[in-house]
Amino acid sequence: MTALLQVCAWIHDLPWATAIRESEITFPALETVHVLSLGLMVGTIAIVDLRLLGVVLRHEPVARIAAPLLPATWIGFGLMLSTGGLLFAAEATDMYANPAFRLKLLLLGLAGLNMLVFHFTSYSRRVRWGSEVSPPVGARIAAAASLTLWTGVIIMGRAIAYFHHHG
Amino acid sequence: MRTKLLAAGGALILSLGALLSPAAAHHSFSAEFDGSKPARLIGRITKVEWTNPHSYFYVDVKNSRGEIVNWACEGGGPGALSRRGWKKGDVKIGDQLVVDGYLAKDGSHTIDARRVTLPDGRSIYGGTPGDGGPGDGDVKNK
Repeated sequence: MTALLQVCAWIHDLPWATAIRESEITFPALETVHVLSLGLMVGTIAIVDLRLLGVVLRHEPVARIAAPLLPATWIGFGLMLSTGGLLFAAEATDMYANPAFRLKLLLLGLAGLNMLVFHFTSYSRRVRWGSEVSPPVGARIAAAASLTLWTGVIIMGRAIAYFHHHG
Repeated sequence: MRTKLLAAGGALILSLGALLSPAAAHHSFSAEFDGSKPARLIGRITKVEWTNPHSYFYVDVKNSRGEIVNWACEGGGPGALSRRGWKKGDVKIGDQLVVDGYLAKDGSHTIDARRVTLPDGRSIYGGTPGDGGPGDGDVKNK
């Protein structure tokens, strides 16, 4: 048994994780909030990405769209992370072996990395191009990568159920 | 151009919605089980997993050659089963269950516990709500 699997088994057997796994209401309620907050987070991110790609709100400066949406994105992120963490804990041992969950984590990491790179490169120079209909190619690549990676995260999240095997 | 893009975006969102729509079901019946392979198992409980998103009841069943085989019976989660009157602790290790269900597509000793007869004689619908399997959508079973 690998160290990581041991950690997952330890989490899986924690009293509160077991309580969620065996709950009547808590587990489905967490799933519901997890999916609703996904809409909030990825929805607001998609609006900014589509602006960067010149699809929506083309004549609005990028920062004027991104700044007011950011709090909603963070609220969505906080809800997703906390509900997702609790759902993971309830099934930690099963998730360890789940290929869809592993791929989802990888895509999540890449989406985060993409956001960081964009934030410290193109976006830091937004004063120069923020009002242009078509932003620099780096910003457009980051936007396309963001839409693709988040779509992948959502699909893999749903796919977890289909690789869920009990032994 | 813009109208086309918006239409394409709308179509993408709708298809994602269709993918996500069986929200009540963890996965559909047909993802794992074969509706053309009904089976009845009668056996003693060796293990109970009263868990989300599915519950599992493991039973020892004697096959036609007289060998004991352990089967995993997959049912709805604790919420779904409780609403139908099957409460946590209603069955114990060693109790006899009669399970009517459908065999797994992969040939493993796994059955979708569509109807379970408990030791006290009650017959409970065991399916996951909204999974599209046999008996799903029957109001009495919700």
